[in-house]
Amino acid sequence: MPLLSSLERDYPLIDSDFCKFCASHAILSVEDFLLHDLYVLVISTEQHHNSERLKEGITQVLTIINKQHQPWVDGRELLDDALQNKRFLPTGCRSIDAFLHGGLKEGYLTELVGTSSSGKTQICLQTASAVAKNWGKIVFLDSGNSFSPKRVAQIVTQTPDLSAYEVDKALQQVMNNILCMSVFDIFTLFEVLHQLKNNLRSQIDKHIKMLIIDSISSLITPILGGGGAQGHALMVSVGFLLKRLAHEHDISILVTNHMVGGERGTSKPALGESWRSIPHVRLLLSKDHIRNIRSMSVLRHPHMAAGDRVEFELQ
Amino acid sequence: MAREWIECDETAKQFLTRVLSERPFLPLPPPLHRIPLRAGNVVEIVGPSPSSKTRILIQAAINCILPKEWKGVNYGGLERLVMFVDLDCRFDVLSLSRSLKQRIIRANGNGVGHKLNKVKDSLSGSKDAHAEYDKELFADSMRRFQYIRCYDSFEFLATLKTLQFQLQKDKEAHGTGVYLLMIDRRSLSLQSVSDTVVQEIQKILVVHPMLVLTTKAASLQEKFTTRGFISHSNRNTGQLAVESTLDSRTIRNSANVQLYREYMPSVWQPFVSHRMLVRPSDDNSKYQKQPIYVSEWLLPSLKLSDKFTINDDGSYIVS
Repeated sequence: MPLLSSLERDYPLIDSDFCKFCASHAILSVEDFLLHDLYVLVISTEQHHNSERLKEGITQVLTIINKQHQPWVDGRELLDDALQNKRFLPTGCRSIDAFLHGGLKEGYLTELVGTSSSGKTQICLQTASAVAKNWGKIVFLDSGNSFSPKRVAQIVTQTPDLSAYEVDKALQQVMNNILCMSVFDIFTLFEVLHQLKNNLRSQIDKHIKMLIIDSISSLITPILGGGGAQGHALMVSVGFLLKRLAHEHDISILVTNHMVGGERGTSKPALGESWRSIPHVRLLLSKDHIRNIRSMSVLRHPHMAAGDRVEFELQ
Repeated sequence: MAREWIECDETAKQFLTRVLSERPFLPLPPPLHRIPLRAGNVVEIVGPSPSSKTRILIQAAINCILPKEWKGVNYGGLERLVMFVDLDCRFDVLSLSRSLKQRIIRANGNGVGHKLNKVKDSLSGSKDAHAEYDKELFADSMRRFQYIRCYDSFEFLATLKTLQFQLQKDKEAHGTGVYLLMIDRRSLSLQSVSDTVVQEIQKILVVHPMLVLTTKAASLQEKFTTRGFISHSNRNTGQLAVESTLDSRTIRNSANVQLYREYMPSVWQPFVSHRMLVRPSDDNSKYQKQPIYVSEWLLPSLKLSDKFTINDDGSYIVS
């Protein structure tokens, strides 16, 4: 939030008189303006000789504030945007796509929860190759060195009904479209996400369709705990930043989370209660070792009931 | 001068007529139907996640944006604007549009309407049945739903500060006023700015009387530890067996009572005039497709609780 004195160049009404008047009320930046009672401020301008000009200055700051928040949209525009801009991206596994009514939706933050070796990373890699082949670029943020180009190549070359030349071309395309980055702590994650946001806003990276973070829990868990609220605040900030990126730039975001022990011997997803309400879609992965099949069930979805399950096989 | 003090400003009849027209009662769908709510009230709906809090808001919004009557068909709505502030950034507009379509089709008395529950949205063969609903009415109603999302508390404050101008603009654009302000918030903590938020909303309510519905996530805890302790002491105190069985019975009853933890700061609590608790009910049979929720008014405190279910069609009281 800018300081009031720095706005003088662009907004001539906010001159030094105005700044002095505001400083007398302990208002130094636009942020302070938000916390202050405006009616009291307007009444106090009456005591000054140039009250008209001060009131105009207050109105000017209000117009600045009006740009600070998202614009109001009505239901019609919202619906049009949801139907036209937010499409479904494939996960690479047909049964999962059918289960999720088309795949991973753009604009949604999808979370995959599961114990270790339940298939989270595999699904991430499979989704990455499927989307990179036909849809656009993917940013893969890897926190545990789990991204393996060899595995991706294996997934691509396993597609049937393609000649060797086509397979080669597909492989080139996929490898060009996946941008992989190693991120080992939450502050680097913030840096990367802010850089991504700026790039998307200034249209440098136009074709990014998906962002995968594997795994976000290993980035957040070290800062949680210890009794302070800062860890939770950082976690919620990351969540909101991801949701903003997803909605404003029509990207689908996939994150993975691990499980911890809950009460009475059951296990529950990590990251606690505050994280629970942040992702749009939460899916639980499990592997039945006896029958050797994997299943995915819904923990939370905007229009599917919790507890719906599907069984599938991974390549 | 002294006489002016004694002369009355208006009669009781004038007063009542004025109040009823400026701050009318809003009929709302279940589970909010038990208590009459007027513009100027602030209702807080709390509950653990997932309970159907946002869906309750959607049903109330549909009640508000539909007109009372359109082309001879009675919809029973209020034809007013709804402002929805999404602090969670998780609002799904498709569920709003689906519910609105279902309502319109159902009010038209279309016999095919109830079969459409099983049909998936818009891609299937029965497109003609979907096209039966009045598109103009749908578009008109959707335009009365105003939505904004705030990604942090400062954006929320900025929205509140400029809400007055926005309300004035909308009133002129649509010709009708706003009746419902909905604030959907689960994880955004407003602790540092809650004083200002409450002040701003109170000021807005004085000039533009609206009914405010807010949602909040709460965590419920069960007292399992005391039950374990009592059974342990039962084993040890053989002579006092009679007394301890009585104790264990009362403790077991209270173990079913779920505690509700109040997170909100002291500024917020007196601001809220009504509070309702919603939670998923414990006895969900496995074969029921529709989950059942239990609602209970905490403020004013009613002894009874309602069981209801909510889906695209609307909300219904069960049992």
